[in-house]
Amino acid sequence: MNIISDLKKVATKSPWLYRINGGSCNGCDVELATTACIPRYDVERLGCQYCGSPRHADIVLITGPLTAHVKDAVLRLWEEIPEPKVTVAVGVCPISGGIFRESYAVCAPIDQYLPVDVNIPGCPPRPQAIIEGIAKAIEIWREKL
Amino acid sequence: MNFLTLLARNLWNGPSTEAFPFGPAVTPKRFRGKIAFDAPSCEGCKICERVCPAGAIRFTKTADGLGFSCWHDTCVFCGNCEFYCPTKSVHQTTDWHLSHTQAEKYSMVESGLIPNQVCVECGATALDTAPSVAAVKPPMSAEEVADLRGRCPKCRAKFLKARRAKS
Repeated sequence: MNIISDLKKVATKSPWLYRINGGSCNGCDVELATTACIPRYDVERLGCQYCGSPRHADIVLITGPLTAHVKDAVLRLWEEIPEPKVTVAVGVCPISGGIFRESYAVCAPIDQYLPVDVNIPGCPPRPQAIIEGIAKAIEIWREKL
Repeated sequence: MNFLTLLARNLWNGPSTEAFPFGPAVTPKRFRGKIAFDAPSCEGCKICERVCPAGAIRFTKTADGLGFSCWHDTCVFCGNCEFYCPTKSVHQTTDWHLSHTQAEKYSMVESGLIPNQVCVECGATALDTAPSVAAVKPPMSAEEVADLRGRCPKCRAKFLKARRAKS
């Protein structure tokens, strides 16, 4: 048990991020890339790192209004992420649908399919707002662990 | 030798990373953030509700008056409401601290109320909206505007007609 608690302590220092694009216009994705890659914002200061596989992820960032076309793929990907995970909805589209809210091709809001923990509204949210939201997600993740 | 000057500059200027979230973040003056509503200056024309592409702004008639609500979780911060608002009572602030937990999702609302009032002239109940006086000629004084504000729409029209006849 001691080893597990030690591992938990180590793990809390670096939550890995995974990004799912649920039919986004790429605005939020650009801001997410900006948050991670530009030294001015640099989300890696919080110990976060983007990872390429959902199986390595701790915090999942979902952008886009969850179009009917990608809905099943997004839900399958989300299932693959091991528990405990924190789901963050980035942008107004996954939270409420935004300007796409009444479209036949859109399944927003995503909280009717997945349990969302943190919402970051904005169209797109600015990098600092995303960092703020990720900081909140890290707190929730530490509680869950 | 270019790299040496670059190195010297980097040493001199320090890191370019912003301190946020451990310190304050720089926000441009004209940043389009959270919507704010100022009920006393609203004319009640509801143009903001009409031009809002995300359907974030809603007006609801209640027993107390006309309620305004703007849900930040569906607002796209386009600024149409501010652009079309004749009195700029709907305006955008530079506040962007909007991230919240799921429990607070439906409380991210900016709300305001335009109360009902009793008309000083005819005694009818009408909304206490700001009178629309921007196009009135000759320009109205502050006392005249305050006098006009206490009236119902019909009495306001009568007041303005009498004023036009006088001048």
